[in-house]
Amino acid sequence: MNLLRNALVLTGLLSGSLIAATPTDQIAFRTAFLDGQLPWESVSTAARSEGAIDFYYWGGDDRLNVWLERTVAPDLEKLGVTLRPHRITATSDVVDLVLTEARAGKGLGQGSVDAIWVNGENFYTLAQQDLLFGSFAQKLPNATWFDWDENSAGGSLNLYDFGYPTQGREMPWSGEQYVCAVNRSLMAEAETPHTFAELERWLEANPGTFTYVKPPHYLGNTFVQEALYEMSPEGAQGFQQPLDSFTPESLARLLAPGMAYLKRIAPLLAQARNGIPRYPENESALMQLFQNSQTAMECQFGLYHVATKRASGQMPDNTEEIIFPRHNMIKNKNYLVIPSNAPHPAAALVFTNYMSSVAAQKSKLAAVGYPLGLDLWMLSAADQAAMVEAMPPHFGVTQAALDSHIAPDTHASLVRVIESLWQSVVLQGSETPIATLVEQAMSQSK
Amino acid sequence: MKGVSHNGKALLVGVGLYIVILGPIIPVIIQSFAFQWHWPDLLPRVWWWSVRADSTFPLAWDYVLSPYSHVFEAAGNTLFISLSVTLLALILCLPAARVLVSPHFKWKTQILSLFTLPLIVPEMALALAFLAVFIPLGLAGTYTGIIVAHLIPVLPYMMRVLVSVYQGLNPAVVEQAQLLGASRWQRLVHITIPLLLPGILAGCLFTLLVSSNIFLITFLVGQGRVETLPTLLFSKIGGGALDATAAGLTLIAMIPGFILLLATERHIRDYQRVGAVGRSIDGSHR
Repeated sequence: MNLLRNALVLTGLLSGSLIAATPTDQIAFRTAFLDGQLPWESVSTAARSEGAIDFYYWGGDDRLNVWLERTVAPDLEKLGVTLRPHRITATSDVVDLVLTEARAGKGLGQGSVDAIWVNGENFYTLAQQDLLFGSFAQKLPNATWFDWDENSAGGSLNLYDFGYPTQGREMPWSGEQYVCAVNRSLMAEAETPHTFAELERWLEANPGTFTYVKPPHYLGNTFVQEALYEMSPEGAQGFQQPLDSFTPESLARLLAPGMAYLKRIAPLLAQARNGIPRYPENESALMQLFQNSQTAMECQFGLYHVATKRASGQMPDNTEEIIFPRHNMIKNKNYLVIPSNAPHPAAALVFTNYMSSVAAQKSKLAAVGYPLGLDLWMLSAADQAAMVEAMPPHFGVTQAALDSHIAPDTHASLVRVIESLWQSVVLQGSETPIATLVEQAMSQSK
Repeated sequence: MKGVSHNGKALLVGVGLYIVILGPIIPVIIQSFAFQWHWPDLLPRVWWWSVRADSTFPLAWDYVLSPYSHVFEAAGNTLFISLSVTLLALILCLPAARVLVSPHFKWKTQILSLFTLPLIVPEMALALAFLAVFIPLGLAGTYTGIIVAHLIPVLPYMMRVLVSVYQGLNPAVVEQAQLLGASRWQRLVHITIPLLLPGILAGCLFTLLVSSNIFLITFLVGQGRVETLPTLLFSKIGGGALDATAAGLTLIAMIPGFILLLATERHIRDYQRVGAVGRSIDGSHR
C-alpha cells in the first residue's frame, strides 16, 4: 500500500508543474514562535487575519459534533477565528491527504488541514514523514495546565504517545483509560478479580463468563498488553523500548509468560466450543454479551463508559467498575496535532490553545463526557473542585483509585509482533517454540 | 386453472422480493425512533420521544433534522454533484456510443472493454492519483475537481447503457421516416431521441446512483471539505454502531435514490414497450 501510495504521489509530482514554494513569512512566523520569540498577542493578531481553522476529526459522536458547533465555534468566533469542522471516518484518510499535499509541494500556509485529532499510529506516521508543524505544545499559554515532567507517570503521558516521544509536536486533548466493569448480580464483591491470576481462578470456578475483544482490534490488543505486563518479570517498564533494542530471545523471554497465560485461559472464555472461544470482533459484540448477561465482566477504553452506558440503558443498573489489573490499567491520551502544511498556522495555535483551556476542557468533560486532557493536579484548588464537579460519576470505585493504578501503553513498534504472536500461540494454539515465532514476527515487521 | 396457479406463483415471488428488498429497511426505521433497543426485545424498550425532553443534547431525529447533523447541506451537495456528473457523462457518451455502434468501426469490443478499466482499479488508488494531479492544477477541494474525478468511475456505466441503446435502435425506422420525407432535424427530434430517451434515462439513473454513492474519491479530492451524504454517513457509522441518528441519516440518504427510481420507473416501462414496437417493425420489414 505504501509502495502504491508513493508511486501515485510520484506520478502526481511529475505531472504537476506548478509547485509553489512555501512563503517565507510563514516560515519566519513558525521559527519565531517555536523559538519563543513571538508574544502570544502577535499569534492572536495573525490568527484573526487568517480568519479560519480547518479541523479534521472523527465525526461518529453526535455529542462531540454538537459541542463543537454549539460551544467551540462561537467561542472561537470571539477570537476572530471561524471554526470549520470536517467530520471524517478514519484519521488515516486525513494523514494521506496531508502526505499527498506535502509531496505535491504544498508547504506551510498552503495545505488544507490545520489540526487533526490523533494518537498512536497516525501521529507516528506524520512524525516519520516529517509532516509536523513543530514542538509547539509547551509554548502555548495554556500549557501551564499540563505536567511536562518526563519522569512522572502523568507527565510521560503528555510526552509519549504509544511509547513514541511527542516532543511537544501534539497537544494532549483528552485522556482514556482501559477500565473493566462487572455485573454485580453475576459476580459478588468478594469474588472480584484484581489480578490476572485471580481472574484465572474465577474463570476456573465460573467458565464461560468472561471474554475479550479479538486482537488486532485495539480493545483486544490492550487486554493482551495488560496481561503481558502483569505476567512479565519486568512489568510495564519492559514494554517501553523500541523493537530494535530487542533480540528475538530477549523479546521471547518478555512475552512468553503472558502468552502462556492467555493460551491457558482460552478454553475458559465465553462462547468456547471444544476449547476454542469465538472472540467478539468489536465493542458492540462485546457489549451484546455483557448486556445479555452472558458475561459477568467486560473491559474497554472509557474512563466514564459505565456512567454513560448505565444512563443510556446499554448496561444493567448494577454494573460497577473494578480495579483490574492492579497497577497495570493502561491509560493514554489523544492529541491535537498541527501538520507542517497547515493553511492557517496561527489560527491552529489559537485553536489548540483554546481547546487546552480550563473552560473548554471542563465544558467538554460535562457536555461530551470525554476525560480531561489536562492534568488535574496542575490546576488551582478551586478549578480542581469545579472539574471534579463536572465529572460523570464512578460506580464501585473512586477516581483516585483509578488514577493510582495506571500504566503506559506498549511501545508502538512492538504492537505488530504481539499481534502476530497472539494469532499463532493463542488463536491457533501453535506448539512451535516461542523464540522461533518471535523471530519470524520480528523479521516480518522490519 | 393453470393461469391462476401461475399468477399465484408470480404473486408469491413478488411478495417474497418485496420482503427481501424492503425487509432490512423496517428495523432501520424502528431504530431511528429508538432510545434503548436490545436483544431479545422485539421492539425498543424506551422510545426516543419519551426521553427527548430530558436530554441535554439533541437525540435521534432532533439531531438528524438539526443544523448540527449537516444533512441538508450534504444532500444538496450530493444532488448538485451527481446531476452535474450525469449531464457531463451524457454529453461525452452520446457521440462516443453513436460512433462505437457504427458497423464500420473495427475495434468496437476492445474499446468497450477498455472503458470498463476504471472499474477494476481500486477506488483508493484512483482517489490518491486524482488528488496528486489536481493539487498543482488547483482543482483539489473544489466542486469541479470532484465532478471531474467522479466522471471516471461513472463513464463505463453510461457508455455500456448507451451503446446497447444505440444497438437496439433499428436503422430501418429512421430510414422509413427519411423515405416519407422527414428532414434530418425532424428525424432526430421525432424518431431518434424519443426512441433513445428511455435508455438515456436508464443510463442517467445508473450514473446518478453511482455518483451519489462515491465516498473515497469525494473525500480525498474534496480534501474533506465538501460534505456529501456518503461522507457524512461514513463518518457516522464508521465506528460500527447503528444508533438512532445513524439510522435517521441512512433513511434520509435513501430519499434521493428512491425519488429517482419512482420518477424514471414509468419511462423505463416505456422503454420496454418502445423496444417491442421497434422489434415488431423490424420483423415486418424482413
